[in-house]
Amino acid sequence: MQYMLIHVQPTDLDHEMGQTWQPDASLTAWLEETIPSGVNLQGSRLRPSSDATTLRSRQGELIVTDGPFAETKEQVAGYDVLECPDIDEAVRWASKHPTLLAGTIEVRPLLDSPPPMPLPEQKEGTLRYMMLVCLGEDFQMGPQDQSEMGPATDAWVKEMHGRGARLFGSRIEGPDRARTVRRKGTDLLVTDGPFAETKEQIAGFDVLECADLDEALEVAAKHPMAKFGMLELRPFWPPEEP
Amino acid sequence: MSTQPPATNAKESTQDVVATVFREEWGRIVAALIHRTGDWDLAEECAQDAFTQALARWPGDGVPPRPGAWLMTVARNRAIDRLRHGNVRATRLRQIAALAPTGATGPDEEAGVTEQLSPSEDSGVPDERLRLMFTCCHPAMAMEARVALTLRTLAGLTTAEIARAFLVPETTMAKRLVRAKQKIAHAGIPYRVPPASSLPQRTSGVLAVLYLLFNEGYSASAGTELVRKSLCDDAVMLAGVLAELMPEEPEVKGLLALMMFHRSRQAARVDQQGELVTLDAQDRAQWDQAAIEQAKQVLDEAWAKKKPGPYQLQAAIAGCHALAPQAEMTDWPRIAKLYDQLLDMTGSPVVELNRAVAVAMADGPAVGLALVNELEASGALQHYYLLAATRADLLRRLGQRAEAAAAYREALALVATGPEQRFLAARLAEVTR
Repeated sequence: MQYMLIHVQPTDLDHEMGQTWQPDASLTAWLEETIPSGVNLQGSRLRPSSDATTLRSRQGELIVTDGPFAETKEQVAGYDVLECPDIDEAVRWASKHPTLLAGTIEVRPLLDSPPPMPLPEQKEGTLRYMMLVCLGEDFQMGPQDQSEMGPATDAWVKEMHGRGARLFGSRIEGPDRARTVRRKGTDLLVTDGPFAETKEQIAGFDVLECADLDEALEVAAKHPMAKFGMLELRPFWPPEEP
Repeated sequence: MSTQPPATNAKESTQDVVATVFREEWGRIVAALIHRTGDWDLAEECAQDAFTQALARWPGDGVPPRPGAWLMTVARNRAIDRLRHGNVRATRLRQIAALAPTGATGPDEEAGVTEQLSPSEDSGVPDERLRLMFTCCHPAMAMEARVALTLRTLAGLTTAEIARAFLVPETTMAKRLVRAKQKIAHAGIPYRVPPASSLPQRTSGVLAVLYLLFNEGYSASAGTELVRKSLCDDAVMLAGVLAELMPEEPEVKGLLALMMFHRSRQAARVDQQGELVTLDAQDRAQWDQAAIEQAKQVLDEAWAKKKPGPYQLQAAIAGCHALAPQAEMTDWPRIAKLYDQLLDMTGSPVVELNRAVAVAMADGPAVGLALVNELEASGALQHYYLLAATRADLLRRLGQRAEAAAAYREALALVATGPEQRFLAARLAEVTR
């Protein structure tokens, strides 16, 4: 079973200006423990929410906005995908992650079973984006749209895989199946539910590899959920950049 | 007796030349440097350096025959210097070195070549301002960031000037600009003219930024008038550049003509007490006839493409007003028809209201009032003071004073402050006398 760890950090002005928590030795130790053992399939730090772009399509009109899908005090700062026998194990790994020094980790089971492979080597001249598929406050979907969503998404995945624009992705279980891990002093706090009680919630994600934001927007605009939800595009933090 | 003009005058006039050249060349230089270096801050700093050098050297050396090429060379050399000291790959240095204007006329090379060069403003480098415009106006940035970035990089306003124009502290504006540039770099907003498939949509995005800029300047509030007037000039200048670079797109010329028509009436819009003067009461002798003639020419060129759009229609309406020698001679039936077309295109209730006003002028207030009442019943413009104000005006013209007074009071309740409020109060006094 695969689980998504959603790393969450407070959004403040310094954070917005890009001065976030820096990866350090404790992260390296965590990665050394999880990657070679095959627990950690993939993951990345993400650029702050001020670099996010959100897209939705309503009545045939494409609406592109600056910023994340929901304005909350805490923002998604990175992710990992873990292969674990159960959610308790995933929570156990999350509880050792240095994100907890300053933030929170939300653990969510993946609904689909994508092949458990690491991401391929990044192609020259491309950027990677996390595309968060979110359901907004206005989310509603009729039975017919619901029955068409599956095949339409499959077609999108096939097309975008074919042209190399989509590397990985899955729907994730709803917020009621989430576990949130925080640390208070030396105590570890594990609660049921998502990191923020907002009306907007993450329903899935895709990892995109595109030439630039325009291509990423074009790929996102074709996703069948663009008509119903919101798609947030968040650039990966390049590994070579501190 | 010396034939030389006094030194101070020469210096002043050189400063004027630099100011003119600045307007024409700043955006071009910044656009070219960003294209080659990908570094927005470097581009701005090197352009700034080039103009500083021009101010220091031109008064003594004289203005070079091709000031644009001179500035481009200085800015390019500065960029190469800066990048040499930084840790840059050779490929990038070569890209910048390629920015040698044809028939280079940098400060070091200019002697000897100047003779053969035509005294053109042309910098001899491909004009990359279109890329810069589309990048500055990318929809993935907040509107306020697009406006600020456009003013900084294309029009060359300083951060302090932009801050003053938008009534925010300079530090706020500086942060806004830093954030915008950071977003371009981090999110991968491409530095290019969008492909044909998204060009129409993105072009109207650029036009929206320019029109917002213009309106920000046009709705002049006292005190900052000078800054705001220059916003109008910048908007017109940038629309002119865009029209030159996209000659096949009539909506660009439509917007340019619209702004030029509006600007031609600027002197008559406010009276000596600072009160707004309505179109029919303006002193038409104060309208700038040369500007109106120019605007008409630009609009005619757009119209000839036979691809009408919202800006062309609005310009045509503004043109009907501008070209009427007296208010009574306004071609209201044509204006009503143009609003019909505009309404078809936009479906906007505000346009519908304006159309009702034009119909009232063409066919009488009773016909107009019926349209206004219809619009009111639809509920689309609830709490919009101009709806009540228009109804009030039509009732007043029909001699229904009590109903008119009620409508003026309704409008007054919806308008917070300013000249509009004073205007409505005066009319209310008139019908309740």
